[in-house]
Amino acid sequence: MYDRHIDPSLHMETTCGSLMSELQKIWKEVGDPDEERDKMLFELEQQCLDAYRRRVDQASHCRAQLRQAIADSEAELACISATLGEQPVHIRQSFKSLKKELQAVMSGLEEMRRKQIERKNQFAEVLKQIHSTSNELRGSAEEYPYTIATEDGDLSLNRLEDLRNQLLSLQKEKSDRQKLVLGQLNSLKSLCIVVGTDYRLIIHEIHPTLDDSCGTKSISEDTIERLSATINRLKDVKIQRLQRLQGLATTMVELWNLMDTPVEEQKTFQNVTKNIAASEAEIIEPNILSLDFINHAETEVLRLQEMKSSKMKEVLLKKRSVLEDICRGAHIVVGEQISIDFSIETIEFGTIDPSYLLEQLEIHISKVKEEAFSRKEILEKVEKWLAACEEECWLEEYNRDDSRYNAGRGTHLMLKRAEKARALISKIPGMMETLKAKLKSWEKERGFEFSYDGVGLLSMLEKYCVLKQQKEQERQRQRDQKKLQGQLIAEQEALFGSKPCPSNSGKKNYRPSTGGVTDKRLSLGGAVLRNASTKKAGLSSHSHVKQQTSCSHNQSGFSTHSSVKNNISGGNSSNLQSLLIRKPLSPLSPNVDSANIQDQNVTSAELQDMQNAYKTPVESPMKNVSSFNESKTPKTMPITALETPPTASIKMQTVMTPATPFRTEDVEYSFEERRAGFIGPKPHLKSSLPLV
Amino acid sequence: MHFTQEYSFEFKSRIAAKIMTAAPQSTGRELTSPPTDGISNIRFSNHSDNLLVSSWDKSVRLYDASANALRGEFMHGGAVLDCCFHDDSSGFTACADHTVRRLVFNQGREDILGRHDAPVRCIEYSYATGQVITGSWDKTLKCWDPRGASGQERSLIGTYTQPERVYSLSLVGNRLVVATAGRHVNVYDLRNMNQPEQRRESSLKYQTRCVRCYPNGTGYALSSVEGRVAMEFFDLSEAGQSKKYAFKCHRKSEAGRDIVYPVNSIAFHPIYGTFATGGCDGYVNVWDGNNKKRLYQYPKYPTSIAALSFSRDGRLLAVASSYTYEEGDKPHEPDAIFVRSVNEVEVKPKPKVLPNPAT
Repeated sequence: MYDRHIDPSLHMETTCGSLMSELQKIWKEVGDPDEERDKMLFELEQQCLDAYRRRVDQASHCRAQLRQAIADSEAELACISATLGEQPVHIRQSFKSLKKELQAVMSGLEEMRRKQIERKNQFAEVLKQIHSTSNELRGSAEEYPYTIATEDGDLSLNRLEDLRNQLLSLQKEKSDRQKLVLGQLNSLKSLCIVVGTDYRLIIHEIHPTLDDSCGTKSISEDTIERLSATINRLKDVKIQRLQRLQGLATTMVELWNLMDTPVEEQKTFQNVTKNIAASEAEIIEPNILSLDFINHAETEVLRLQEMKSSKMKEVLLKKRSVLEDICRGAHIVVGEQISIDFSIETIEFGTIDPSYLLEQLEIHISKVKEEAFSRKEILEKVEKWLAACEEECWLEEYNRDDSRYNAGRGTHLMLKRAEKARALISKIPGMMETLKAKLKSWEKERGFEFSYDGVGLLSMLEKYCVLKQQKEQERQRQRDQKKLQGQLIAEQEALFGSKPCPSNSGKKNYRPSTGGVTDKRLSLGGAVLRNASTKKAGLSSHSHVKQQTSCSHNQSGFSTHSSVKNNISGGNSSNLQSLLIRKPLSPLSPNVDSANIQDQNVTSAELQDMQNAYKTPVESPMKNVSSFNESKTPKTMPITALETPPTASIKMQTVMTPATPFRTEDVEYSFEERRAGFIGPKPHLKSSLPLV
Repeated sequence: MHFTQEYSFEFKSRIAAKIMTAAPQSTGRELTSPPTDGISNIRFSNHSDNLLVSSWDKSVRLYDASANALRGEFMHGGAVLDCCFHDDSSGFTACADHTVRRLVFNQGREDILGRHDAPVRCIEYSYATGQVITGSWDKTLKCWDPRGASGQERSLIGTYTQPERVYSLSLVGNRLVVATAGRHVNVYDLRNMNQPEQRRESSLKYQTRCVRCYPNGTGYALSSVEGRVAMEFFDLSEAGQSKKYAFKCHRKSEAGRDIVYPVNSIAFHPIYGTFATGGCDGYVNVWDGNNKKRLYQYPKYPTSIAALSFSRDGRLLAVASSYTYEEGDKPHEPDAIFVRSVNEVEVKPKPKVLPNPAT
């Protein structure tokens, strides 16, 4: 017996042989026919063959599959290598079996796949960056198309390199742009500061990301373009404003110089004027060109101009008054031969350029001066003539006074004056002759009429002549009448004997002693007063008038003082104090006694002296009364006092305070001190009565 | 012929005057929200129509006179006796609490310049020297530098003793006129404050109420409690002094008795040099000092005229109608400020009447 275990096929053959023999044995026993047995054996053989064939098919199919897999993998490998741009790896060497080959190919494939994924990631990374950078540069925000990059077949290193270079150049451009934007932003900021606009607002308007708070700033071309446009615009604005400011500063300095503005006032606008000659680039101070600042400067300039125009007006008005003065002095009517309207209205409203007006005024003044000079000689003569005429008038009036030869104070002066007047009057015809000759030559030379205060002087002279003739005739007539009367009286005397002359001794006191001035005053309303005053003996008519004046309108407060004087003379000093006390607002009764009248006399004398001294136009005090105190005109006055309206310009009562004051208290206090309850640190004692 | 000329002129002027009186005359526009107590002073700005008002109600108010609007108000520790502008946006006040203050209107700020020993009666700002000058009832004058605010040591420039309590101040150019109780008048040169340039006594015999320099700088007008104004000149030569004179005004006669009113205020017209006076009779008169004429009398105001001020161009006149306690505490009309536009004829000097050759 041999060991089956050592050789299974042998064993199997043995098993198949034993099974065969067993089968033949069975068959023998069963007695199956040989045919049957052959058939069975054939079948058996057939079945065995089938089983083998099936197995072989199976195995060959498996092998084909394996080969296919290898081929596929290799193809894939080759494809990946191609996309990666690498030489395909040749794995196909002599392998012992297909399975091992497959394994090797698969591992290679795995490797390649890994590589491919890596490469893809790299590409994706680069592409993404490129995309984002170019997006930033373009300023758009497109979605990143991930798919494009990976679907693209070429993943070679060269391409990657290319892409990287592209990325680098993009990044460079980006940084360049960032620098540009930053630079632009800086210049924009400085411009904004100078011009005084809101920098943040402006950059926010250009692109919201430009604001400092944001991390990244937009650097797209659009943004840059807008930035530079804004910068240009601001620069233009800056230049415009600078020019405007410099214009303002120039006028300001001119005005300062013109008006001598104090340095202190100038200082406040020094920041305006210090840039007067600066170039655009030099202006960097914040807000120096802001609208507020310029408006501020502008208002100042306007104010200065207004001031200048008002000063100009003042100068014009002054010049005008100079012109008027000259005209008045030369007795030329203002406005005569003036081509331009110099009236105050024109000056005030400034319809005509003031400087032009000033020039014209100057020219006119010089013209008028010249004319005044040429008129001087004639005017002197006219003055003399007028003075002579005045004397003539006076003399006429004086001659009418019947009592002029009565002895009294000042009579000799009057006589002397009359004598002088007569001498002067005798010269009048000669004066007029020379005057006329001069006038004619003057008028011939000039070619127009010589006017005196708007009236032709020649016609004035002629009128005077006519008037004089008339007067002469009148005088002649009166003389004749007088002669007739004298004859009548003589006849009567012859019939009835002489009669005593009506006494006019009472009158003689009223004759003016100081001159024509008072005489004229009395002539207005004096007649009645004279009658009234005759009753009061010892009073001159002169003083009586004053008394009336003082009672009616002069400060009757001073009557207290005079009564005080009385008291003093009476020796009653205790009574004095109570009389002295007069509060400023207490009304006073016109306490007229003789002392008062005397006192007032002094006052009125002072008044007259003052009036004479100041050469005020001659006006009687009675006129004063009627004009100043409408209700206080004495009842006896024949003139009905006209109610004086507030508009009428009225002479001031320039009367000196006649008496010394009295203190109502030891220390005087103002209303404010009384109200505030303020009492001085030490009472101020005034020296007692300053009366004596 | 000249007689007829004169008559016709007189006739015309009478007719014109009648027509003028017949027309209704107003007191001007009254400012809304006036001070609630006596008004001590009102002043127009040199730059605008702003009006600064000081009052006994312890307030200082800034009005826009042309817009009739109250622009600002400051309250002090005592009655405010005087005020003046620094520039258009700031001013100074003299207060009865002895303090001198500087006010900045748009910021509502107030700085204390310093103090006197008694109520400060009057205050002026000199544009020529940039100094503030105050006069007080402590019988001194003090000069201040407004730039050294806060701290008397730094702002006080000098203290100058006066013979009596200071009642009124006025400035023109470098000249300062100080009127005090006891009728003293001191004239200083601001450049040399050590001693007065001139020591004078008032020409008027009664207490001084107000002193104001002529705009042309040749002299000053001084008013007294006794209805009288003196016109004085700085020139001490005989010719200069011969020009001085005094005249009566603000008087009334009633039933044979004369009532004399104090003349509280004088204001010169900035362009024509004529001046307005205001008295306790409630009247404002305009005078021409050169021609010695009264130019105009405005209709009567409800109560005493406490203060007057012409605007910088002389087109507006502010009138403070406010009882000045001349008769002590008594019921009186409410305090009011009127702003009237000034007509040229009211303030323009009329040339002298031409001399009459025939008479």
